[in-house]
Amino acid sequence: MDNQPTAPRTALSIRGLSKTYKGGLEALRDVNIEVNEGEFLVILGPSGAGKSTLMRCLNRLVEPTAGAIFHQGREITSPKQNLRDLRRQFGMVFQQFNLVKRVSVLTNVLTGRLAYRSAWRSLFYSFPQADKRIAVECLARVNMEHKAFQRADTLSGGEQQRVAIARALAQQPAVILADEPVASLDPKIARQVLNYLKQISRELGITVLCNLHQVEYTREFAERVVGMSRGTVVFEGVSSQLTDEVLHRIYYRDPGDADREDAE
Amino acid sequence: MAAPNVSAVASGMPGADRILRELQSRKTWRVHHLLLAAAAIAFLTWCADAVDLRPREVIYAIPVIGEYFARMWPPKWQFADNLWQPAAETIYIAVWGNVIATLIGLPLGVLAASNVTPSGVVRNGAKAILNLFRSISELIWAIFFVSAVGLGPFPGALALGMNYGGILGRLYAEAIENVDRGPIEAMQATGAGRLQVILFAIFPQALPQFVTYNLYWFEVGVRSATVLGMVGAGGIGFELVTAIRLFEWREVGVVLLLILGMVTVIDFASTYLRSKIY
Amino acid sequence: MTAPAFDSVVAGALREEAGIRNRRVLKACGWTAFAAGVLYFTATQIGMKPAALVAGLPFMWDFLTRLLPPDLTYFQYLVGATIETVQIAIWGTLLAVLFSVPLALLGARNTTPHILVFHATRMFLNALRSINELVFALIFVSAVGLGPFAGVLAIALHATGMLAKFCAEEAEGVEKGQVEAMQATGASKLQVILFGVIPQVIPAFISYTIYRFDVSIRSATVLGLVGAGGLGFSLIKTMKLFKYHETATCILVIFLLVLVSDWICAKLRARVL
Repeated sequence: MDNQPTAPRTALSIRGLSKTYKGGLEALRDVNIEVNEGEFLVILGPSGAGKSTLMRCLNRLVEPTAGAIFHQGREITSPKQNLRDLRRQFGMVFQQFNLVKRVSVLTNVLTGRLAYRSAWRSLFYSFPQADKRIAVECLARVNMEHKAFQRADTLSGGEQQRVAIARALAQQPAVILADEPVASLDPKIARQVLNYLKQISRELGITVLCNLHQVEYTREFAERVVGMSRGTVVFEGVSSQLTDEVLHRIYYRDPGDADREDAE
Repeated sequence: MAAPNVSAVASGMPGADRILRELQSRKTWRVHHLLLAAAAIAFLTWCADAVDLRPREVIYAIPVIGEYFARMWPPKWQFADNLWQPAAETIYIAVWGNVIATLIGLPLGVLAASNVTPSGVVRNGAKAILNLFRSISELIWAIFFVSAVGLGPFPGALALGMNYGGILGRLYAEAIENVDRGPIEAMQATGAGRLQVILFAIFPQALPQFVTYNLYWFEVGVRSATVLGMVGAGGIGFELVTAIRLFEWREVGVVLLLILGMVTVIDFASTYLRSKIY
Repeated sequence: MTAPAFDSVVAGALREEAGIRNRRVLKACGWTAFAAGVLYFTATQIGMKPAALVAGLPFMWDFLTRLLPPDLTYFQYLVGATIETVQIAIWGTLLAVLFSVPLALLGARNTTPHILVFHATRMFLNALRSINELVFALIFVSAVGLGPFAGVLAIALHATGMLAKFCAEEAEGVEKGQVEAMQATGASKLQVILFGVIPQVIPAFISYTIYRFDVSIRSATVLGLVGAGGLGFSLIKTMKLFKYHETATCILVIFLLVLVSDWICAKLRARVL
């Protein structure tokens, strides 16, 4: 990978995205973001700002109410888009890791390959050798291959999140969506996990979108930052531009805003 | 003694007086309380009368029942030789009843779970079938199957399978609905299909529950299988009914002891196995 | 990690995976063979043949056509039996509650007066639990004659076994702190049980009693098969007379009764807990 600062290509472009939930909660309002190929983009904002909804619109776990998203020039929000093909290209990492606790680490990573395989083969819980190789390689990337055969619930939080990253990697995705990946981890482990994500982005050229609510991690890891507040983008720039004034814009809330929080 | 002290303090404070008064007034029975109690007593008396539960009859019945149990002693041990085969059959019926119940309950349970089956029509249909199977006792099912495939343990197993299939199916559905949603979302995010989500995110999480339920209802099934013989559906119940009809109380005693032993052993085994699941 | 080192780590893990997989497949085959053997043996023992089932299908169909449609005019004769079924369940459960409170206290480790009493009570309760209520009903019908009284006693005994055991286990699981606080005030053993143990057990006990009542309704619908009153008696009577349309009505009423009781009990339990 060369890191020449050539003109970056656009990986994702989000245009006029809005999402209003059934109860009338407006989670996103006219969001416009351009994401460059291979960058590590942090979406910063308090909880309830709409970050999670934005991510779930990208792999369409949530259907946006209005607007469009383009991935490498193709509109992925069109009704014709095959969901399986789409989600395969977006790996996702969650705050609560979301591993299946009672099965082995390796099997958890192998589930990242499911979208490539037929349901009938899955019926026997068997995977081709090629998939196993990919899974083991992904585990080795996050230095977890030595625990491949342990049950997922025997691992610590940080280890589980590394396995979850390996699962996302096993999809061989173009983009990884990390939704508050370190919110349940202590600071030392959190930095380690963010390092892995950043290293993957750099070495494999995978675009990483990472939701965070902590300013210090954002300053430390982000290449570029999008600040969100109450469903809209209020800042876009590099981390050195995160001044007190900007942070105030992101984190300030009306007293009447409290009820937004539990909805997301 | 501290007690007089405390009460002196209490009566000295107007607040405490109010609370004590309130306590006093709470204790008094209001008219509607009395009416409610009277209605309840009248209702229960009416019920008791309808089911012949009258003091005189109870007093008469207790020694009679005691006498019947006394007649079972000493057990006629040699009768046990006729019982080994039916006892084993009882357990076989319970085993196959459990297998059939799983075969019926699993697909219906999956279809009845709201986080797997989005279609309300399918879900409610599955629930309705499970309710039908569940609500009709295994003995009534047994009567039905005996008339279809003839006397013997086979209709007994089918009957247990139908009744317990309905019970297990509902429990399976609840277990499926209670799994952690996180892994399901993660699996959907990888692009896995519906069947794959069920296989990789839901089953591994719900499996310990499934096994626990199966073991527990196997225990209950053995107890049920001991009476299937009363309607000709195999097992030790037939020997029991025959012995009672022939007033061979010492033989009845042996049957009861054998059932007791069998059920106890299976309870222990099943409890042990269930404690092993995690 | 350098590229060759990375490759060798991956190769090692894959080799290990193959080994584990082989062992697992072998183990799975062993267990499958064992289970298949057990199931095959038991199937032959109880004469389970798919062929018998297939051969029985026409008979089942025949029986069904004779049952259907239910004779709805017979419904009026079942009102009495339905009420009797509910009455049997009510008194069976009520007697079980009365019996099981003292038995539960004797059968819980922390409230029993003596360890021997504890073991004896538990053994007695296990015996009550193990014997199906229909077996009790059969014996009681011989002893006190046909009728609902035998059914009430049968349900009461079986339910006592269930209820008392559950209650005893709940009593053993109470929070120690409250009991200790009570002992610290110098309360007597009986006072500790009354004010420290029982209040903690009551909600679960009520909830389980309601559940038990639901089960009792279910049991009461079949007690009549052995002559102990309720809807089961009408069921078996109409069958013996080959009045199958009336039998179907009985089954329908049983189904509705169980459904309604299930629904009411679920609602009640949700309010208690």
